[in-house]
Amino acid sequence: MLLPYLLVGALLFTLGMIGFVTRRNLIIIFLCTEMMFQGILVTLVAFGRYPLQGDPTYDGQVFALFLIAVAAAEAALGLALVVLLYRYKGTLDAKAWTFLKDE
Amino acid sequence: MASLLSGLLLLGALGLFLAMPGGRLNIARVGWVLLAAAAGILIVFTVQLAAGDGLGWFLACALVALFAAIRVITHKKPVYSALYFVLLIIAVTGLLLLMQAEFLAAALVIVYGGAILVTYVFVIMLAQQAHPAAYDAQSREPFLGCLAGCVLVSVITAQFLSGGGEPEEASRVIAEAAGTVEEVGTLLLTDYVIGIQIAGLLLLAAMVGAIAIARRRPVDVELEGED
Repeated sequence: MLLPYLLVGALLFTLGMIGFVTRRNLIIIFLCTEMMFQGILVTLVAFGRYPLQGDPTYDGQVFALFLIAVAAAEAALGLALVVLLYRYKGTLDAKAWTFLKDE
Repeated sequence: MASLLSGLLLLGALGLFLAMPGGRLNIARVGWVLLAAAAGILIVFTVQLAAGDGLGWFLACALVALFAAIRVITHKKPVYSALYFVLLIIAVTGLLLLMQAEFLAAALVIVYGGAILVTYVFVIMLAQQAHPAAYDAQSREPFLGCLAGCVLVSVITAQFLSGGGEPEEASRVIAEAAGTVEEVGTLLLTDYVIGIQIAGLLLLAAMVGAIAIARRRPVDVELEGED
């Protein structure tokens, strides 16, 4: 049962990546990073539950807990930045900030 | 096997491209039909990949998770995207329960559904436009995005399909108390005690940083460039 979980994890990660590069709303872009975290989380727990050799361990679940902590920190900082950017421009469009890129 | 997988990925990528915001409504419907076909291929593929008890529950959770994920990135209203993300969390929780990670499932619902998503909804409400925003109804380079995603997931799946397939199920005993807070907590406070300290520090730093960023006044900085 390892491979189906890995497949779902990979698909969730990829869907998050597609959303990250194609959506223009800054909030949705951050939501897509959370979706990529979900894919990684499924993969980590699946590797802990169905290891390639030996008995199941809980290390995957511990890593997943750390991942949730990082995701919470990322959401707090990212949303604070989104609010700040919204106050500068009055819009959530990512295109409003394209002048930041290198010439 | 490989042809099934490539069919799944191509149909999925094409359906996702058509269902992306920006196209006409009829085209989005065609995209959803293609995505439904991809879901059917996914079921066949998974049944071929691994047989075992709990496969039905796995398929239900996985399909709901993928549907919710696609809705998150294709829906034109941010609030609905956030709500579909809650559905995604619930489906992932089901997957975790199938893998006997009960404590992690509870933590995921509490932290994501309870804390992170509420923050997202708050920010969506704060930055609400009076009328539906044009940038939500349009996606940026959906074709290239779906193509890149298709390539990425092909590379990943080719890696783990070429690795000899499913690892053998021998000696797959799992303890009675698997996934409870006792087992995970013991590991967390013995082997990973440094990690948990660093995680606490990280959360503190993120909290201070978020307050510092949110309190800044945007008026005293000159911005160049136009909208």
